[in-house]
Amino acid sequence: MSANDGGTFDAGARPDFWPDFWPGFSPGDWYAIAADHDVIPGHIYRTTLGGHDLAVWRTRDGTVQIWRDRCPHRGVRLSLGEVAGDELRCQYHAWRFARGGACTYIPAQPAMKVPGTIHAEVWPAAEAGGLIWSGIDPQGAPPALPAGTVVRALPVARPAAVVAEALAETDWPGLALVVQPADAQSAIVRGVATDGDCLAADRLLRALRRRIEQNGPEQNGGERGA
Amino acid sequence: MILYDAHHLAPCYAVRLLAGLLGVPLTLAPMDVYPGHDDQTDAFLDLAPAGRLPVLIDGDRVLGDWQEILAHLALGHGPAWFPADKPALIGWLGLARDLGGSAGLARMIDTFGAAGDAAAARAEADRLLDHAERHLWFAERAGGQWLLPRPTPTIADVGCFVFIAPCEDGGLSLRDRPALRRWCDRVRFLPGFVAMSGVFPPMANTPR
Amino acid sequence: MQEWRTMTPDPILWNDWHPVAARCTLDPGRAHHTVLLHVPLVVTIDAAGTIIARRNDGAPLQQCERYGLVWVCLGTPVQPVLAIPEADEPDRPPVVVGAIGVRAAGPRVIENFLDLGHLGYVHAGYLGDDPQTRVLPYDVAPLPDAGVHGGLIATRCRMYQPKASPAATEGFLVDYFYKVERPLATCLYKDNPVHRDRFDVIYLFVQPVTEVTSIAHPLLLCLPDGTTPAALRAFQQIIFMQDKPILENQRPARLPLYDGAELPIGADRSSVAYRRWLAAIGLRWGVITATEAAGAPR
Repeated sequence: MSANDGGTFDAGARPDFWPDFWPGFSPGDWYAIAADHDVIPGHIYRTTLGGHDLAVWRTRDGTVQIWRDRCPHRGVRLSLGEVAGDELRCQYHAWRFARGGACTYIPAQPAMKVPGTIHAEVWPAAEAGGLIWSGIDPQGAPPALPAGTVVRALPVARPAAVVAEALAETDWPGLALVVQPADAQSAIVRGVATDGDCLAADRLLRALRRRIEQNGPEQNGGERGA
Repeated sequence: MILYDAHHLAPCYAVRLLAGLLGVPLTLAPMDVYPGHDDQTDAFLDLAPAGRLPVLIDGDRVLGDWQEILAHLALGHGPAWFPADKPALIGWLGLARDLGGSAGLARMIDTFGAAGDAAAARAEADRLLDHAERHLWFAERAGGQWLLPRPTPTIADVGCFVFIAPCEDGGLSLRDRPALRRWCDRVRFLPGFVAMSGVFPPMANTPR
Repeated sequence: MQEWRTMTPDPILWNDWHPVAARCTLDPGRAHHTVLLHVPLVVTIDAAGTIIARRNDGAPLQQCERYGLVWVCLGTPVQPVLAIPEADEPDRPPVVVGAIGVRAAGPRVIENFLDLGHLGYVHAGYLGDDPQTRVLPYDVAPLPDAGVHGGLIATRCRMYQPKASPAATEGFLVDYFYKVERPLATCLYKDNPVHRDRFDVIYLFVQPVTEVTSIAHPLLLCLPDGTTPAALRAFQQIIFMQDKPILENQRPARLPLYDGAELPIGADRSSVAYRRWLAAIGLRWGVITATEAAGAPR
């Protein structure tokens, strides 16, 4: 099976239109989508929340920008591009977007004043408890987690609702955990270790992932990593 | 030095990349391995009986293994890249070779229709990428930047990079491997970095 | 929805010819498995050089060979394989670049081929260089003498290129024109650094595998300028492999044909005309039509 025989391609796995709502994902909630340390200067971090691809980066003063991971021009993921000072540059045509999403420069037409209608889609952003939070239309403040050290995020190839249910079945002494619904088939477990023992937390979470992924049918289309 | 080279083969890229990082000029002898079969001609097999690219000619020495070539270049031009007293170097170079048979194979199957089982190659690559991701995350937390706990990169970083950076060409994903993505950026921004198609070099005229 | 889409063949593509293999990549010792419009095929060559393409399910298909490529039509061909007059010029035999798989919709691949603005970024150092990336005004018009569905021609395209071809030793301002002759077949005519009065011709045929996966079959008809076929191929492979990650990261994967989905500028005249033309002829494969978009959430 290869690209050349189409065998590994499933046209239906990633629909072009995602619903905003599904079990485990609601538009009024904040979700942790990264750790503070994930978004280092000059780097574009990428993740997916509720089926929406996000590109996350910082301006020079450290302010987090969370944008839809899609250039409004021709749909290319902005996370393929580059941070240029206080702007993000798309890899495809090097359009530049400033803090707040406004497009500031189009190299193909350098003399053109860029219309105000051209801008990246900006998502709500908050930093709290060592994590970076976003959501569609989140209300109030992000959940307050106990003080501790942010543990390594663990992606699980099962829907968020399934992962949350598995988490709820066990006590997690010393750990405060939250679930990021990624796409319809995968979720990411994030959290803090109140005792600071990230290695122990990682062992526990990897064991949890093995248990969850052993159960239930293999789902298609979720990306799996780390 | 003459390098028998095919642009898209990751092991060839590893040699070009290290040469760029070391500032060592290479004379490239391009080989058409697809759709041609320059690597299966009598002349090439006389030179390199294993029929594998790349091959480096340095004076009267003929080096026919890509990791041997990396070590050779590093020993001659930048010993810090080849810390022979660190056993972990062997481990990560081994991982790089395993990535070649998994992530690298998936890329060749998906792109050029090479023979092989892409799904099995991706499953193996996922395991190896998970391992590298976890290692680099904890390395970063301890203040490290590279695969080995050293202030500067080694040939192990080069050897793994050439398979990891273009792995999405082969249907793998770096989305949930943020430490690997950061490490790829660190390699891309090293002075002397050269690209291969599928790996974008730093953009020109970008204020940093 | 997705299931229905995959069950209904697009009549335009179903009744057209598509390349599924190149003679030079076939091997008597190994059958070539591929997929065309969701239909699995196998292409074999015997020791005598006879090539046979078959559907795995045994249903009939039509097959022919042109320009070193094996062409298949799954339905009833409404027209022959695209005629390429330059292929008959004796000093420029067609050079097959080889098949390159890409996880992208066929129309996205064609649109990218027509795009001038990306040359200085995706192909920096080859087909363009920052900051000489201004796209000068050019013209797009219906293609005269086109096939049954018509086509497009873009003329007066000019780009500064540091290394326009393997034979180029310095950068120069390159003149181009582009044609779109079938929904998934396009070509460009480009200044040759040696023959200043004739053009190199580069074709791109896209084999539609699924709606969002394709195999590109570039074909070169380049003038003799001292460049070997192997060097020509290598150069085009480098270029196309630079496009692959861009194409695989475009969302939505299918090319939106409705207004407001993406924001074109003046430099995108070709792309805008291509989308309008696909909408006008009613292509349904690898695109999101206005009708479908109107019924979708968000």
